[in-house]
Amino acid sequence: MGSRVGALVWRVGLAALLVCGIGLLPWLSQTDPALTVLKARSADRDPTPEVLADIRGQLGLDEGPLPLLGQWLSGLPRGDAGRSWISGAEVTPAVLQALGVSLSLMAVALLVALCTAAAVCARTLYLGAHRRLGGRPVGGSGSAVVAALPEFLTASVLATVVGVQLGWLPALGWYGPQWTVLPALALGLPAGAVLGRLLDDQLPGAFAEPWAPAAAARGLPGRSIARQALRRCAPGLLPNLGLFVVGLTGGSVAVEQIFDIPGLGRTTLQAAIAQDLPVLQAGTLVLVALAAVTTAAARLVARRLIGPALRDGALQSLHRPTPTVRRILPFVYGLLLSVVIASGLPRDPLALDTGARLQAPSATHPFGTDALGRDVLARIAHGALDTLLLALTISALALVAGVLLGFLPTLSGPLVDTVNAVPPVLAALLVTAVRGSGTTTPVLAVAVVAWAPLAAHTSALLRQERATVHLTATRALGAGPWYLLRSELLPAVLPPVVRHALLRLPGVALALASLGFLGLGAQPPSPEWGLLLAENQPYAERAPWAVLAPAAVLALLGALAVTAAGAGLRRPRRRTEETSTTEQAAPAPESAGAR
Amino acid sequence: MRFPRRPRLLAALLLTPLLTGCFASSGDDGGESTDAKDGSRLRVALAFPPAENLSPYGADATILSRLGVTEGLTALDANGAAAPALAASWRRADDRTWLFTLREAVFQDGAEVTPAAVAAALTHATEAKPAPAALSGVTVTAKAEGSTGVRVTTSAPDPVLPLRLSSPSLAILSPKAYDKKGAADPVGTATGPFELTEVNGSTTAGLDRFDDYWGGRAQASGVDARFIADGTARANALRTGQVDVAEAIPVAQAATLDADTRRETATTRTTSLLLNAESGVFKDASLRAAARAAVDTSALAKGVYEGHADAGAGIYGPAVTWAEGKRVQPAGRAGAGKPAGASITLATYDNRPELPEVAQVLKQQLEKAGFKVTLEVREYSRLESDALAGKFDAFVLARNTLVDTGDAVAVLASDHTCGGGYNIAQLCDKTVDRAVAQAGSTADAAERQDAAMAAEAAILGTDAVVPLVHQRVITGVGTEVSGVLLDPYERTLVGTGTRR
Repeated sequence: MGSRVGALVWRVGLAALLVCGIGLLPWLSQTDPALTVLKARSADRDPTPEVLADIRGQLGLDEGPLPLLGQWLSGLPRGDAGRSWISGAEVTPAVLQALGVSLSLMAVALLVALCTAAAVCARTLYLGAHRRLGGRPVGGSGSAVVAALPEFLTASVLATVVGVQLGWLPALGWYGPQWTVLPALALGLPAGAVLGRLLDDQLPGAFAEPWAPAAAARGLPGRSIARQALRRCAPGLLPNLGLFVVGLTGGSVAVEQIFDIPGLGRTTLQAAIAQDLPVLQAGTLVLVALAAVTTAAARLVARRLIGPALRDGALQSLHRPTPTVRRILPFVYGLLLSVVIASGLPRDPLALDTGARLQAPSATHPFGTDALGRDVLARIAHGALDTLLLALTISALALVAGVLLGFLPTLSGPLVDTVNAVPPVLAALLVTAVRGSGTTTPVLAVAVVAWAPLAAHTSALLRQERATVHLTATRALGAGPWYLLRSELLPAVLPPVVRHALLRLPGVALALASLGFLGLGAQPPSPEWGLLLAENQPYAERAPWAVLAPAAVLALLGALAVTAAGAGLRRPRRRTEETSTTEQAAPAPESAGAR
Repeated sequence: MRFPRRPRLLAALLLTPLLTGCFASSGDDGGESTDAKDGSRLRVALAFPPAENLSPYGADATILSRLGVTEGLTALDANGAAAPALAASWRRADDRTWLFTLREAVFQDGAEVTPAAVAAALTHATEAKPAPAALSGVTVTAKAEGSTGVRVTTSAPDPVLPLRLSSPSLAILSPKAYDKKGAADPVGTATGPFELTEVNGSTTAGLDRFDDYWGGRAQASGVDARFIADGTARANALRTGQVDVAEAIPVAQAATLDADTRRETATTRTTSLLLNAESGVFKDASLRAAARAAVDTSALAKGVYEGHADAGAGIYGPAVTWAEGKRVQPAGRAGAGKPAGASITLATYDNRPELPEVAQVLKQQLEKAGFKVTLEVREYSRLESDALAGKFDAFVLARNTLVDTGDAVAVLASDHTCGGGYNIAQLCDKTVDRAVAQAGSTADAAERQDAAMAAEAAILGTDAVVPLVHQRVITGVGTEVSGVLLDPYERTLVGTGTRR
C-alpha cells in the first residue's frame, strides 16, 4: 500500500516537474515567446519592438514565468487550461477534441498492430501448438524490415497509391470510419511488427515449458495450447503495448500531416514550435494522464493473466531452449549492406547537378539521383558511418539506462510513462534548453526518450523472472542477491532486451533526423540517412527510388541487427538443463489462472 | 467463463472510434445536391489555417479576403495601384487628409454601410494590439463626413494612404462585429460576396452567398473551405476531386498535377541572398561582388524551382508590372575580389521546402568561386533573431516585396536602411538611405516608382543583396472550374464570377 502511495506521489511529482519545465522553457532557452508567437500568427510580419511589446502585454509575459504558471495551475481544478497564446481560444475544448481524434486513430492503429503482431507470430504459434518447434530456425527478418519502415514513408505510399491512384479509400481528411484505415495502417504496421517480434522472441520458451507437452499428451487441441502460450507471454509485453498506445496518441505527427488529421500530435508540435505554453502544458498533461491510465490498465490485465503465479513465485524461466538460427542470414545481410556501402564510397555524395535531377536508376546512377541531381548510392554509402555510429551510440546509451532503470521498477515505472508521453519535439526542446545546442545535444535529446521502452521491457521480464521456481530454489540454496543478479537475472533479461534495442535502431536514426528543424543534428548537405529520407520525402511519388533506397538500407540494417543478435545472444546451455529438473514443481499457467 | 470475454474486448475496440465520436465535421459535403440554376458550392483548399480565429487584424485577414468575405475601402488592381472597392472614389484634400466617398452597400447582417460605421471600423483597427501591419508607423484618424463621405487624417503626410487602405487587415465590418475588448468577429458582419456562416477551428469554414452584395450576386451558391497545411495533401485533395481549387501547390508536387489544372501566377515574393555587410567576410565589398558573380540564378530557377520561377532581375520581379520598364542598372559596384578559402555561414529556413535546396546549390556555386561554406538550416522562428542580429554571413530569404501596404518603398526602408527593422543584410549605406528617403517622400505615383527603382539600383550597387529568383505561385484549379481570381498579391481567389 505504502509503495503504491509512493508511486502516486512520484508520478504526480513528475507531472508537476514537466509542467513547470514547460512553463520555464522560453526563459531557460532564452527564446522570446513573443517572437515565436508572432511568427505562428503571421510569418511575414516584421518583429518590430512595438509589435513584440504589444504581444508581451497581451500575454502578460512581463510578469515572468512563475505568475503565469501559477495562474494557469489555478485554473486547472475548474477544468480551465487557459487560452491559447496564438489564437486566444480556450485550450481545454481544443485539446480534448484533438485528443478524441487521436484516441480513435490510435484505437484503429492498435487493431492493425495486433493483427500485424499476430501475423508475425503465426508461424511460431502454429508450429509450437503442434509441437514441431524444436530445432526449427527462427525467422524475424521480415518483421524487422516492417519495424524499420518509417511511418511517413508508409503513409505517403498509402496516400498516393491507394488513396490517389487507385482511389479505393479517401486519401486525406478525418470524416468517418473509412478515413481511419490508411493512417491506421501506416501507424499500426511498424508498431505491430515490433510487438510481434518481441512476442515471437518469447513464445518458444513458453512452448518449451513442461505444461505444454503435458497438455499435448493429455490430448488438448493445439489451439488451446497456443492460447495458453500467448497468455503466458503477453504480460511481458503489456507495458510495451501501453507505451505504444500513448506514443501513437501523441506522437503520430507525420501521419497526421500527410492525411490532414486534426490530432494531438500536430497540436502539440505547433504549440512547441510557437512556444504556445498553455496548449503545450495542457496537451502534455493529457498525455501523461493517459499514460498513467494505460499503465494501470496494463497492470490489471497482467494480473488477471498470470497474477497468482507471479504472487506465488510459480513461474518458469521464459527462455527458448537453444534457438537454432540460420547462421547464414546475418552474413547475407551484412554482405549486402557492405557491398552497397563499398560500391558507393568512391562516388561523390555532394556533387550536385541540377540538370540531372530526379533521374531513375541507371548504369551511371544505380540508385538514381535526388532532387538536386546527387547520386543516391553515394549519399547512402557516405552517410552510413555517421548514421550507424550515432544510432549505435544512442542505442547503447538507451540500453544501459533502460536496463539499469528497469531494475528499479518503483522508481522507473512512472518515469517511463512520463517520458514516453512527452512529445519527442518537446523532449528535444527541454534538453536544448538545459544543455544548449552543442554536439552532444541531439544524442541526448533522442536518448532521453529512447530508454523508456527498454526499461519497461526489462522490468516486465524481471518481474516474471523473479517469480520463477528455479530462482526460489537458487535462493533456498543460499545464493546472495548479487549472485542472483549476476548469474541468474541478468543473463535471463539481457538477451531479449538487447534484441529489442537493436530492433529499434532504425527508429533511432529517424528520430535524429526529425530534430533537424531545431538546428540540431545533421545539417544539409550531410548525407545522414534520416536526413536523406526527410529531404526526399516531398518527391516520394515522382522519384520513389530516392526514398526507397535509404529506407531499404535502413530495413536491411534492422534485419541484420535482429538476426545477428539472434545468433549471438543466447542463454548458456546450462539454463535449459535446469528447466527440465524443475519440471515437477511447475504448475501450468492454466491451473495457476484458474485459482 | 473465459469465452465471452474476447468478443467483448473486440467489440470495445471496434466501438472506440464511434464512442469517441470524434471525426471532424466536413462542413458541407460538396453540395452536389444544390440545383444547377442556383450554382453549386465551391470547395477550396487553403494552405494556411486560421491562426487567430479569423481575426481581421492579423494574417488571417488574407484568408477572409481570398474567400471573398471582407473588403476594404480600396483594393489593388493588376498594376498595384489603388482601385475602388467600398469607396467609389477618393481625393486628397491636403497633405494629411484624404476624403473617401462610399458607394451604396450593405453589411451581411443587413445594416447599411454608413460613413459612421466605416469610420468606427477603421478606428477599431487603429486601436488593435498589435496594430495591423499596414498601419505600422503611421497614425490614422477616420471621421464620418456628410452622408457618404469619410475623412481620413494622418499625423504625417502619407502619399500611399489609398494603397494602405487596400490591406485586408483594414476590412470594414459591421458595428455588430466588434466586442468590448476590441476583438472583431467577421462571421456574418462583412460586406463581400460571400458570408462566413460557420468556422470549425482551424480545419474547415463554411460560406454562403451574400445575395445583397453591391457588386451583384455571386455565381457559386457558397464556398466550403478546408485548411490543409501539408502541400502534398493539398495536391492530393485536388487530384482525388475532394476540392475544386487548391492554393499554393509546392514546386515538388506541381508535376503530379495535370497541366490543365495548374495555374501559375507571378508573385511579389523575391528570394534573395543577403550578405552581411557589417561584419565578417562580407564586410569587404569586393568579396560581396565575388559572391554575386559566383551565383548563377538561372540554375536555381530551372533546377530547384523546375521553371516555376523567374531568374532574379532585381528586388522587384515581373509581378510588379511597372518595375521592368523603369529599372536602372546599378553603378559603382566594387570589383570582384579573391575569396581565397574564406569560410562563411549560409543560413536559411525549412518552412519553404525549396529554400534548403537553394542554399545547397548556392553552397556549391560559392565553393566553386573559392569560398568555404557551412549551411545552417532551422525552422524560421528559431532562426530569425539570430539573422536580425547579424550572426550569419549570408542568408537566403524569401520576402514579399510589396508587404502589407502594397507600397513598393516600404520594403526598401525596413530591409535595407540603417534604421530598418528587418535589415538582415545589416546594410547601412548613406547613398541607399538617401535614395530610399527620397522615394518615400515622393507623392506622385509614377515619380514614386521611378524613385523606388533608383533606390533599388543603389541597394543592388552595394552587392549586399543578390536577387535569386522571383517565385510564381501554383494554384491547382479543377478542370470544370472557371473564374478563379489569381493575383500577384495573393489577396483574392474566389469572387462573384467563380463557379464550377
